[in-house]
Amino acid sequence: MSNAMQFGIFSVGDITTDPTTGHTPTENDRIKAILTIAQKVEEVGLDVFATGEHHNPPFYPSSPTTLLGYIAAKTERITLSTATTLITTNDPVKIAEDYATLQHLADGRVDITLGRGNTGPVYPWFGEDIRQGIPLAVEKYALLRRLWREDYVDWEGQFRTPLQGFQSTPRPLDGVAPFVWHGSIRSPEIAEQAAFYGDGFFSNHIFWPGSHTAKMVAFYRQRFEHHGHGTADQAIVGLGGQVFMRKNSQDAVSEFRPYFDNAPVYGHGPSLEEFTSQTPLTVGSPQEVIDRTLGFRDYVGDYQRQLWLMDHAGLPLKTVLEQLDILGEDVVPVLRKEFAKNRPALVPDAPTHESLVLAAQAALVQSSTEEAK
Amino acid sequence: MTTRTLAVVSAGLSQPSSTRMLADKIAAAAVARLEEQGFEVAVESFDLRDVAQDITNNLLTGFASAKLEKVIVAVTGADGLIAVSPIFTASYSGLFKSFFDVIDNRSLTDMPVVIGATAGTPRHSLALDFALRPLFTYLHAVVVPSGVFAATGDWGETGDTVRSLPARIDRAAGELVALMKDSQRPSRVHDLFVLDASFSPTGAYTAS
Repeated sequence: MSNAMQFGIFSVGDITTDPTTGHTPTENDRIKAILTIAQKVEEVGLDVFATGEHHNPPFYPSSPTTLLGYIAAKTERITLSTATTLITTNDPVKIAEDYATLQHLADGRVDITLGRGNTGPVYPWFGEDIRQGIPLAVEKYALLRRLWREDYVDWEGQFRTPLQGFQSTPRPLDGVAPFVWHGSIRSPEIAEQAAFYGDGFFSNHIFWPGSHTAKMVAFYRQRFEHHGHGTADQAIVGLGGQVFMRKNSQDAVSEFRPYFDNAPVYGHGPSLEEFTSQTPLTVGSPQEVIDRTLGFRDYVGDYQRQLWLMDHAGLPLKTVLEQLDILGEDVVPVLRKEFAKNRPALVPDAPTHESLVLAAQAALVQSSTEEAK
Repeated sequence: MTTRTLAVVSAGLSQPSSTRMLADKIAAAAVARLEEQGFEVAVESFDLRDVAQDITNNLLTGFASAKLEKVIVAVTGADGLIAVSPIFTASYSGLFKSFFDVIDNRSLTDMPVVIGATAGTPRHSLALDFALRPLFTYLHAVVVPSGVFAATGDWGETGDTVRSLPARIDRAAGELVALMKDSQRPSRVHDLFVLDASFSPTGAYTAS
């Protein structure tokens, strides 16, 4: 099924003490909880579940395709994705193999978001240098693309041992590589890379002001057009977001405040009120979340994917599942309807495996017609 | 008439603050000299105290509040900078350092800077040259040779009577103005969205 816009959640995968109870889940608790959360995403009618990738505590998801492979077997409809896959420190050959395998297991319900990672020591742990973050992302993705698109690859680069006559297996499902999003908070080079290939651009969006996201997305859109993939408003944009909801706005604020105040990322800094006004974080009623989310379109244009951060900062599983219920029942159905209004016909729907297969077939027909002429 | 903008950053904490007083005096001397030479001068003065909370928040969240962003834009886009800190525990104050920690480390490249400091006694004066000067050198700013240090006594009769505070201020201001006259800085403010000419989205790998 194709949606103009996809809605879902992305998980950082932190193991954090619940500040209201002092309870810290075990790794096993958290890993089992995330499986429940992913299935709930499908149950409440959302479209995407994405997991982060980390190689240090307090995070558990070091092996995303293992996790997503299990979820693939337990779900039927949702797209499985990442947020993000570390293109800098992973071997692109292993990414090509792992995600093509996942694509087969999930019958195509897979895409991938590439990011550089900002945890300094991860680079040397995997034999890399963080100062080479951008060149690593650029070179390794260039190889990844070829591994998925060419049956036999001869390759030589700066950051990996050369390949002669290498074939990455399994070949992508139906000969179509998973759709790729490039994620970056602040590097225009990555927006340029996404635009150059006509890939998607995902803006994390949750830790920085919307004005900054607006500039990054505008740059990506303009470069997408420059590189000849369509008009700027046809570029494929995804956004992060962060919400906490209760029927009454004030209940949401008082329940979420201790989690906010102690959150690993921004805790003990700005107040909840300051952070809410300065970033897309919305804590309040479902209607407030709807209004705020619809407002994103005002500064990034019509876009394809909205993911929310839901399970973090020590929130108990029960609360996260309640939040997903609210998203599925009260928020997303309204957003689907409202975002569809005034959406120009030329704005593409969110890419799926099916849409990519159709596009590949159309391109094939066109090139054979041209040959016949 | 050609305009030059001068940013003044003071990390003084009390109000009124002798650190701010020193910063203002250096600014006034620089403005007088620039005006003498036919420039119009726009001065933008900031007390870091006013954005102290915002600076801490920026350290924790990675982004500047709108209020702090205004200060950063004004400071990094100026033709010249006067930066004055009180000396706390043998160095610049933590607030002063934190401000220069949160701005982009490329954004003061080539900036003409006068450094100044205040403290209770002249025995702290070397902090200018072992603390403030290397900080700006790291940021590739151009720090003029004369730093201005004002001990409490400099504000009265126990100051240096041979090279008086006003004379030291004037000398530093002269050095700053000599650099600001030819400043091209505002046209060279680093634009995040202008990619390095050598950047290639496909990298430098050898295709087959």
